[in-house]
Amino acid sequence: MNANAATTSHLSLEQLLDYWLHDGDAAATEAADEHLMQCDDCGALLDELVALGDAARAAFRAGAVPAAASGAFVSTLAERGVKVREYRLPHNGSVDCTVAPDDELLVSRLEAPLQGVERLDATWRLSLEPGVQRTRHDIPFDPRAGEVLFLPKLAEVRRLPEHTMEVTLLAVEPGATREIGRYTFRHRPWPAT
Amino acid sequence: METLAASAADSPEARAARRIADAAPGVARDAEAELYRLLAPRARRYGLRHLRDAHAASDLMQHVMALTIEQLRSGALREPERVLSFVLGACRMTVIDQRRGERRREDLLQRYADDVPSLADLHVAPRLDHQRVADCLERLPERERSVLVLTFYDEQPSEVVGRQLGLSAGNVRVIRHRGIDKLRRCVDAGRRAAA
Repeated sequence: MNANAATTSHLSLEQLLDYWLHDGDAAATEAADEHLMQCDDCGALLDELVALGDAARAAFRAGAVPAAASGAFVSTLAERGVKVREYRLPHNGSVDCTVAPDDELLVSRLEAPLQGVERLDATWRLSLEPGVQRTRHDIPFDPRAGEVLFLPKLAEVRRLPEHTMEVTLLAVEPGATREIGRYTFRHRPWPAT
Repeated sequence: METLAASAADSPEARAARRIADAAPGVARDAEAELYRLLAPRARRYGLRHLRDAHAASDLMQHVMALTIEQLRSGALREPERVLSFVLGACRMTVIDQRRGERRREDLLQRYADDVPSLADLHVAPRLDHQRVADCLERLPERERSVLVLTFYDEQPSEVVGRQLGLSAGNVRVIRHRGIDKLRRCVDAGRRAAA
């Protein structure tokens, strides 16, 4: 009898994620340990999930993936020695900005009145692309924080020439959207030496 | 543990273990290599999950496999068909030992280092095209991408990620599951297209 056949049912993707990310209790972890000791199919799926997580981490560290985050997350990275360049914009504010060669993380903190907002979208307009507007839907945020944190793709921003970017935050309400903040970034490349 | 022992009594692992136990010490090299091929990746996986360090996990794997083969050769493991239970128990004890900083592991590794089969034959985790993963991540909805980035950057449980994004732990688990499922399909599709 094959060891895999000896297992009556496989662990689900969700169970494996819970196992790997310490989201289960001690009994669930023990059961998963036991199952994985005899089931190579589930082991291979777990390996795949772990590899995906590793690749996601590597892509983010390389500045190739944008994300919305929290101040706590950024603080944790800064405490670990990640070189963070942070721009804090007041409500409806603007800022001159750049990316230094040794920056490892770029953070835009947009202060905004978020109380009562249930869903948040954002539009982007770059002076480099006249007439083009990009939209990001359903951005995660903590309304108590009073700010939205964007971590743009640092590798991409670093390559861009001088330009202006306008970001508009929109509260999505039943049947309508309401502008809750508008922000302007005036970007200049880091001066060549 | 009873389910593990009962379900695996006639498994390839148990058969290899019996061949090692039945032979003169060190003679059943094929069976030892087979047992190693079957169980070493599982021990390593256990180590990765519980120690969160690739080197420590490799050490655990080598230690557990050396100990298992030693016990089978010497006849100390009296029920070879229970080899899976033995390996799991050894993994658990090794993690506890490592956390206590005990040294027996290193002693055993030194004694049996030459007897343990090569790591070269082991199954290793799949290598992924990081650019492809980045592209697939970018295609995800904002909420799913952010949850995955914050989850995997530090391998954080749902409660921590939820606190960071103003979401409940249950909500994070749902978003995480949906996101990883989409990411997996996207990366798979890219791999198939490239093949």
